[in-house]
Amino acid sequence: MASTQTLSPRTSMTATTLRTQRAAKLKHAVPLYLMLLPAIAYFVIMTYYPLAHAVLISMQNFRFIGNRPFVGFQNYVDVLSDSEFWSSFANTSILGAGILVIGFVAPIVIALSLNEVLQSWLKRTIQMVIYIPHLFSWVVVGGLWIYMLTPDGGLVNTVLQVLHLPQVQFMTNPNLARWVLILVTVWKEVGFNCILYLAAIVGINPALYESARVDGATRWHEMWHVTIPMLRRTMKVVGLLSIMGLLRLFQQIYVMRNAVIEPKVDVLMTYVYDKGLQQMNIGQATASALLILLFTLLLTLITRRLVQYNEL
Amino acid sequence: MPRFATRVGNTLFVFVNVAFLLLICATMIIPLWNALAVSFSSNLASMQPGIQLWPRHFSLSGYRTIWSVLAIWKPFENSVIVTVVGTVLHVLLSALAGYALAQPRFPGRRALTVFILVTMMIPFEAIMIPVYVTMQQLGLLNTLAALILSGMVSGFSILLMRNFFLSIPGDILESARIDGAGHFRLFWRICLPLSKAGLATVTLFEFVGRWNDILSTILFVNDPSKYTLQVALNALVNSGDSMSSGELVTNNVKMAGIVIAILPLILVYPFVQKYFVKGIFLGSTKE
Repeated sequence: MASTQTLSPRTSMTATTLRTQRAAKLKHAVPLYLMLLPAIAYFVIMTYYPLAHAVLISMQNFRFIGNRPFVGFQNYVDVLSDSEFWSSFANTSILGAGILVIGFVAPIVIALSLNEVLQSWLKRTIQMVIYIPHLFSWVVVGGLWIYMLTPDGGLVNTVLQVLHLPQVQFMTNPNLARWVLILVTVWKEVGFNCILYLAAIVGINPALYESARVDGATRWHEMWHVTIPMLRRTMKVVGLLSIMGLLRLFQQIYVMRNAVIEPKVDVLMTYVYDKGLQQMNIGQATASALLILLFTLLLTLITRRLVQYNEL
Repeated sequence: MPRFATRVGNTLFVFVNVAFLLLICATMIIPLWNALAVSFSSNLASMQPGIQLWPRHFSLSGYRTIWSVLAIWKPFENSVIVTVVGTVLHVLLSALAGYALAQPRFPGRRALTVFILVTMMIPFEAIMIPVYVTMQQLGLLNTLAALILSGMVSGFSILLMRNFFLSIPGDILESARIDGAGHFRLFWRICLPLSKAGLATVTLFEFVGRWNDILSTILFVNDPSKYTLQVALNALVNSGDSMSSGELVTNNVKMAGIVIAILPLILVYPFVQKYFVKGIFLGSTKE
């Protein structure tokens, strides 16, 4: 551009028109910037600023009133040498692994099973029913299941009593409570993921089934050799999304935990919340949250790598 | 497909398959049905053990107690305000940003898109404590404004709206532009009316998300008069102690609270299925 200006008058004129053109372009874009302004302002104030601020806070002995002495990496050292952090880490891994595995298989099984239902009204009704829990808040889901599982007169224990089986303390037996949390989480989300699979099944080219049938495939063969392989893309998306969600596990624990089971079910995010808002140790809470963010990014990166390798 | 129904093995398979699905459906229906039945029972009857799939001693006292004695109407009102105002703002601002990003060329478009996309990789939970500090600095702690502000736009909604706007045929926009319509006019008069499905999807997502949210309230609000419904309900239903402000919280009261909390969701449910899946796919493809 700079060199064109020193050339003949004709080209310099082009430069001026270029400049006016660019000015016109900018002017044309002003309304667009105005439209983006609220969103950009929001992200600056509520995402980027807190994220940058977090790095600073995590190195301070943070207080709302008074000075905030700089403590270097002391908060990180404190978090990493806190046994509670590591037990939360272990709990997150155990609950997360359970939710990941069962929550991955269950919607596929249900979607395949639903696909074999030939009456469309029945199919639609079942689909609608299993989707319902996804809509409910964790407070509602927690409330419903704590009530169902309560030892004195809850529905499940009443049924056990009728069958002359021993009563079970679901929410005060730490090992059982883990299973309850895993299964209730799967129960809540199974319908949502199931619909993703059903949508993918509908999209499978019918010609594939026809040629399989010509080759003498049974229904079972069709499922194994046509439907399941065609669901691979959806499986990857669902798998990746659930892996990224693992470290965010929070609301169900917050709602359903009690003092007895806390040591076995408290997860990383409840650790952050308790440190920050119960104990008001903002510096350590932020340091641990940044560590978790780092874990999440690493986990996502690794998964993406693995999934891509499988594709080859 | 007549060949399937011919053999006994197939009939058995069909039977087992449907039974399996109905069993799963039962785990979804029974807790709800049970809650509904208990919520309409009298205080005393609701505390008796036994399977309750029908109200015992039909009574509305559960609803009366939770609504007026325990004053859940106040958190309910807060939730309505936060959900309605928050959803309207979210949809409008996300649509505006989505429209801008759907425009073919303007300086800085790429950089701004990346700026918004990156925010989708940062889970809110990971920055909740510094966001709490930010809210404190803005002087918004213990206000409903904090709850409305939190999540006022999202990368997901912006992207979803952008994808909807991109699917509008170019010649419609071109002819409007020739008639001298500016961007705001195009957005309001042409693009929004043509993207009703997109607006419905974002509205439903946001409505359900905000109605069900507890995280922003337990972070930013300490003052019980600003509690939202879910948080107030959590204290009543899941806290373990059965007393609240000197009142014995019986099971019918708890379940009445749960029924109140799911009522708005049941009302929007018919629309949800239609738009949710469509929305998820549009949001995830065409990047």
